[in-house]
Formats: sequence, structure tokens, C-alpha cells
Amino acid sequence: MPITLQALLTGLLQTGVAFAATIAFAVIFHSPRRELLFTGLTGAAGWAVYLLAMGLGSGAVSASFLATLALAWLSRVFSFARKAPVTVFLICGIFPLVPGAGIYYTGYNFFMGLDGQALDKGLETIKIAVAIALGIGIVLSLPQGLFSFQRAKKGR
Amino acid sequence: MPTSPSAPSVLDLSFQMGEALLENGAEISRVQETMERVAQAYHIEDFQVYVLTNAIFVTGVVDGIPQTTKLQHIPSTATHLGRICAVNQLSREIVQGLHPVDQALARLQEIRVLPYSPLPLAVLCCAVGSASFSYLFGGSWLDAAVAFFCGIALELYMSFASRRKMTKFLTNLSASALVTLCGGALFLLGLGDNMDKIIIGSIIRLVPGVALTTSIRDFFHGDYLSGAIRMLDAFLVGGCIAVGVGFVVKLLSVLTGGALL
Repeated sequence: MPITLQALLTGLLQTGVAFAATIAFAVIFHSPRRELLFTGLTGAAGWAVYLLAMGLGSGAVSASFLATLALAWLSRVFSFARKAPVTVFLICGIFPLVPGAGIYYTGYNFFMGLDGQALDKGLETIKIAVAIALGIGIVLSLPQGLFSFQRAKKGR
Repeated sequence: MPTSPSAPSVLDLSFQMGEALLENGAEISRVQETMERVAQAYHIEDFQVYVLTNAIFVTGVVDGIPQTTKLQHIPSTATHLGRICAVNQLSREIVQGLHPVDQALARLQEIRVLPYSPLPLAVLCCAVGSASFSYLFGGSWLDAAVAFFCGIALELYMSFASRRKMTKFLTNLSASALVTLCGGALFLLGLGDNMDKIIIGSIIRLVPGVALTTSIRDFFHGDYLSGAIRMLDAFLVGGCIAVGVGFVVKLLSVLTGGALL
């Protein structure tokens, strides 16, 4: 499949913007300053995976699922490496993926009298929320050993 | 009744650490584990704790005397990740045996009043966040610029609402209406290319991402009751936002004779 230079640049730019957006939200939720960089990386990684999945032709729901897997994984790695709660990275990193657009279009269509589309969008919003839930749930249920091995290697 | 001076404060310390975590938005399992760890470090016997999203129940035997504490606190509080981090660090140090009880209590008091981000910074961040998300969801640079101003208005309003102790329901409803009004009005004045992208970017600040994430964590940890409470919270807030947005869009559309869309 052809990957144009422009698509690549746009992707990089978007990932950079996701990085900034995640940090902005981390400040709103009063994250400690020394974790900001890592929080931003988590959010950027999630968005990069989302873009990649969308580019490869997956739908918004499965793309959200894959992106959540990636960012939850990274959250746990950072959590272990930085000795900070997973929550700090996870909560802010998830914001680019939460179905804000779904909520908007649901409300919009509902009030504009487009009931069919409102139902469609409402259902999609719930599907994305479930996809995010599954992604977080799966990664957080994995045994801790999978996330500590990098550190063990570095320590030696 | 002969009690050593430290007897009540050990249980109190564990309790207060749990309280600090809970009120700043930590998930149930973290609250419970932290309290148990602290209790173990200070040798509280027969320690039992049960945590809900808005209550903690503790019993324990300190120096042979059974003690009970319970808490019911207001559920609507702001998430403060810095405090959660700091309590986490403190509990780690306590387990390592670095703090006597009084010192740990004093440290906890400092943590509980760690400041919130100053308003100008929060406003700037909300504006930058709104603009970024507007761009990420497919808006143009102009849309992002308009969303920037909507973000400023939103965060100022949020701060006003929290000072007035407005209910969560009303805050979300009115804030999403305000953002839509702001974005819609600027759009009608000819600023911005896509009204939907402007508004979507700005409402991300309100979307219940924290409630959703924490709820999932509670569910997967087996804390179904707390998970259900937070999930319900997320759905209600999401619904409020949808209603706030939809209502104002409809209103603008009627007022302008269907100029939008």
C-alpha cells in the first residue's frame, strides 16, 4: 500500500499535536510536573496507533481498541519505571481516544430530529467506550512480570 | 482505659491516606491496598477495610483495643493526580519503615493541601487542549484557533462553577451549552470552517474520560458496585453533554432560520 510523504508528515504532525494536547490535559488534572513528558508520550503513542490502524483501513471502534492496548501497555511500563501510579499516565493518555465526537453527533442528530442517525452515533459512542474498556481491562489484568523485565535487564 | 498515645493515630493515618486517595479520584483497589499496606507496616492487627466510591469503613485492633472508623464523604471532587502520586510515594516510604507515625501524618497533611494548577495556567491548557483536539478530529487551523477561544471561556466557566459548588449535572449541561453557543456564535460570524470540529474539540474537556477509565479499572478488579456507580456517572455526564450541545445547536438553527448545516 502506498504511503505518501505527505501522509507521513501529517501523521507525525498529528502525533505531535496529540502529545501537546495530552500534556495540556495532564496539567488540568494537576499531574506532577516530572511525569508530564511521559504522560505526553503515552497520549502520543495512543494516537499514533489509532492513526496507523485507521490508515490500514480499520474502523473507529477497532482502531480505538488497538490504540487503547498500546497506551495502556505504555502506561504500565512507565508506571513501573517511574514508580508512579498507572492512573497518572492512563487517565490523561486516554483523552484523545474518548468518543467526544460521538457524543457531539448523537446530541446533534437527536435534537435535529434525525433519530436514525442519532441512534447510529449513540451506538457507535457506546461501542468505542466498550472497546476502550476492553483494551484497558486486558492490559491491566496482565501479570506484572511482563512490565518489569526491561528494568531487570537494565539493572544488570 | 490505658491507651498509648499512638494508638488511635495509627488507624487514623491509614484511614486518612485512604481518604486522600479517594477524594482525589483514585480507583478503589488502590485505596484499599494502600490502607492495608500502611496497616501492615504499623502492625495493626485484624485490619479490615471496605471501600466504596463515597465511603470507607475500617476496623482494626491497635495495642489490643478494637477500633472502628467510617467515613462518608461528598462524591463530587476534582481529580488531582499529583496528590495521588504523592500519597503513593508516601505509602512506599512507610512500607520501607522510613517514617514514624507523627511524621507520616504531618507529611500527609502537606500532601492533602498540594495546590491546584493556578487558574491562568489551567485556562491556557484548556485552550491549547481544545485547539489541539479540534485539529486532531479533522478541523482546520482556523477551527483550532476558534476552539482555542472556546477553551478559554470553558475553563473560566468551569472554575466559576466549581467555586459556586454547582452540581455536576448542571455544570456539564450548562458548560456544554456555553461551549456550543460560543463556537456556534463565532462560526456564524464567519470564523472557522466546520462548526462540528470546533465544538467537538472544546467538549473533550467535559467528556467523562476519568470516570470511564476509573470505572473500568474498578470493574476489572472485581469492585462491581463502585465500578457501576462510576459507569453510571460517565453515562449521565455524557448524556448531559449531548443534551447541552444538541439543545443549543437546535436553538441556533431555529433562530437563524436553519443557517447551520
